[in-house]
Amino acid sequence: MAELTRALRLYWRLQRATMRGAMQYRLNAVIGVLTGAVYQGSGFAFIWVIMHTFPAMAGWSLPQIAFLYGLRLTAHALCMLPLSSLIGIDWLVREGEFDRILLRPLNPLLQVMTKRMGVGQLGDLLVGVVLLGIAGGAAGVPWTPGLVVFCAIAVVGGALVEAAFFLALSSLSLRMLDTFALRVFVDDVFSRFGSYPMSVFGGVTQWLLTYVLPVAFVAYVPASVILGKMVMPLAYASPLLGVALFAVAYRIWARQLRHYQSVGT
Amino acid sequence: MIRVERLTKVFRRPRTFTGPLGAVRTLLTRQYDERTAVDDVSFDIAEGEVVGYLGPNGAGKSTTVKMLTGILTPTGGLVEVAGRVPWRERNANARAVGVVFGQRSQLWWDLPLIESLRLVGDLYDVPAARFTWSLKRMRDLLGLDDFLDTPVRQLSLGQRMRGDLAAAMLYEPPILYLDEPTVGLDVLAKQAVREFIVDTNRTGRTTVLLTTHDLADVEALCKRIILIDKGRVLYDGGIDALVSAYAPPRRLVVHADDGSHAYELTEGLEVPDLLAAHTIRDLSIEEPDLESVIKRIYAA
Amino acid sequence: MIRSLRGMARIGLRFQLAYRSEVIMTSLTLIAQVFLLRMVWTSVYGQRQHAMGLTLEALLAYLTLANLQTFATMPIITRIAHFRIRTGTVFFDLARPVGYLPQMAAFQVGHTAGALLLLAPVVPVVLLVGSITPTAHALPYVVTLALGYVVGMLMALLICLIGFWTMETGAISLLYRLVSQFFAGTMVPLTFFPGALRTLAEALPFKYMGYVPAAIYVGRLSGAEIARALLVEIAWIAALGALLWALWRVAHRRVVINGG
Repeated sequence: MAELTRALRLYWRLQRATMRGAMQYRLNAVIGVLTGAVYQGSGFAFIWVIMHTFPAMAGWSLPQIAFLYGLRLTAHALCMLPLSSLIGIDWLVREGEFDRILLRPLNPLLQVMTKRMGVGQLGDLLVGVVLLGIAGGAAGVPWTPGLVVFCAIAVVGGALVEAAFFLALSSLSLRMLDTFALRVFVDDVFSRFGSYPMSVFGGVTQWLLTYVLPVAFVAYVPASVILGKMVMPLAYASPLLGVALFAVAYRIWARQLRHYQSVGT
Repeated sequence: MIRVERLTKVFRRPRTFTGPLGAVRTLLTRQYDERTAVDDVSFDIAEGEVVGYLGPNGAGKSTTVKMLTGILTPTGGLVEVAGRVPWRERNANARAVGVVFGQRSQLWWDLPLIESLRLVGDLYDVPAARFTWSLKRMRDLLGLDDFLDTPVRQLSLGQRMRGDLAAAMLYEPPILYLDEPTVGLDVLAKQAVREFIVDTNRTGRTTVLLTTHDLADVEALCKRIILIDKGRVLYDGGIDALVSAYAPPRRLVVHADDGSHAYELTEGLEVPDLLAAHTIRDLSIEEPDLESVIKRIYAA
Repeated sequence: MIRSLRGMARIGLRFQLAYRSEVIMTSLTLIAQVFLLRMVWTSVYGQRQHAMGLTLEALLAYLTLANLQTFATMPIITRIAHFRIRTGTVFFDLARPVGYLPQMAAFQVGHTAGALLLLAPVVPVVLLVGSITPTAHALPYVVTLALGYVVGMLMALLICLIGFWTMETGAISLLYRLVSQFFAGTMVPLTFFPGALRTLAEALPFKYMGYVPAAIYVGRLSGAEIARALLVEIAWIAALGALLWALWRVAHRRVVINGG
């Protein structure tokens, strides 16, 4: 327990130091947040434009899809805010920065997480939470305390599902495998496909997105529960999948860490 | 303090493929390239020793140091640092060693130096009072006061290196690894670094392992050197012994009207022959230095 | 002069081919994007035959084309210029006997050629995922697309020039890409844009890079509309070209006087 509080305290100290460093480039930070917001906003603008002409998509109205989009985006932001430094893991390994991380008495993953400040993700979070709030009201979600709690847990669970895949793929970089392209692609699939009702895809695609790359569990399943479209009791347990997947991903990370080979000289 | 026995490191790299789908092929195939970087290396370093660890590029110096710090897991053999196996107890080992890489700073690029030092203090759980004391010592020894509040990215190389030394010794580890600490520094900065190492070793009984290409560092700091090449130890012992055992003969340099000529001072050299051959204006004798000795060993 | 430009184009081509893993990634992303669009649009069309005068088949063909076009003509020089200004290597570019802008343009052309080369194996997959039939309007399609490429190039060069003032075009070029793709109608034809958004999109030049050629291809625009679009497109090129020239004068003087 004392070890955990120490780790969290140090994580926060290091993250704050990185933030202070990033704030020296204030204009860049502002542009970064803005770009994140515009990027996600343009994704939603597509849905909005379509649904201007068509009243429903696979039985979902615009507010409902906006809610789904908001839930997915908030989960994504929650996943990437702490983990965005992992994007540069190839670079950390190649430049020997990772050696230094291993020389310090603190969990290496926590240290990697503090290497960069996910400014763009702040924009994501902003758009996500705003959408979630507005769309939730417009879609007529009956916000009982229980539902609010479930929604919060669902966001965390969704973030963990995405984080699990991101972490597992990133950890391969510790063994000099370049997974950058693959990671970007997987992230892209999560972002693109996660914002739609899975019934839009149907058939094999829906099955793949549910059981192989469980994009459906990031937002679609919990949003269906909150919007009263899915009443299976099991669906309430969906956030647990995130916890389980992330636990597996962390095991993979730890395993790759043992096989870390540093940069040769 | 440091015990290394029959240490071996073999690097196994998945063979990487280029071309379309190269990354996927790399992921799927199970072919490896193997390279032995450290081959059956053994040595012991006692507390308070300053040892130079020398070898040409790619000899296996860095790989050894990385195994001593727990960054790399050995393929075979045994490492013990202050009674611990580094890779098994990496965290505990990290607290016992300070590491300086001349080529890479551990300081936070965008923050003032003092902030980096504070962060290092936090990371190594240095109590506040001890930190203040330790920082004061570093400020005096390394003359940090002029640039303590300057962002690291604006420091000169010499200032940055002094900051890195401070960060490595702030938590008073009993062991210090230095990897090319003077590379790229001017004469004065080199001198400051060397003095700091001497002082740390003398007052704190710090054990120092120094890898460098600058033999002046070695001559100024070390009594003992370990020479390795191609992953194997070529020599382990005192500098004086090395020089007397491997030294090339002294050379007599004859400065004559037709230029300078060097002769090895061996039995066969006859003075009358020299006098016959040149119109001599001056003579000098070149003593063998460490550099010429080491050149000879590498060449063999 | 021509030789050095050709050299620059060759570097642009090499550049595209060098980053293979990135190319594979963008190809996969392109396929995923077209696939997603197909799924989404098919779903919203449902039983409907037409929407806004477009059949589902025509719409899917439109989207497939528009996305292929965007991929092939993606501006790279905004990123290159950003990098070169930051590292100061831009001075080598300025020191060459050929103008800076022609060099950048040649680089982009080479890069686009590389994209087309790499696109070749992807096209069948994209066509399979999307769906497309031959067109009766091949000539106006090619002409408007080629002119649209010029429009895109001029705007990319304008962004490169902004870097002389801000020293930083990374975020701006990303923003530009997002905005231009949206208003080019890459994901939704302009016809579907509601009210004011449609007026805005029609007024902006981005549509010539996506919507106009693709709409001509699927027979959405009549002869008179095509003729008008061509005229306006040429006017845009003239206007953007003039703006670029004026801005270059100022930017160049700025570099020469300030020395960076």
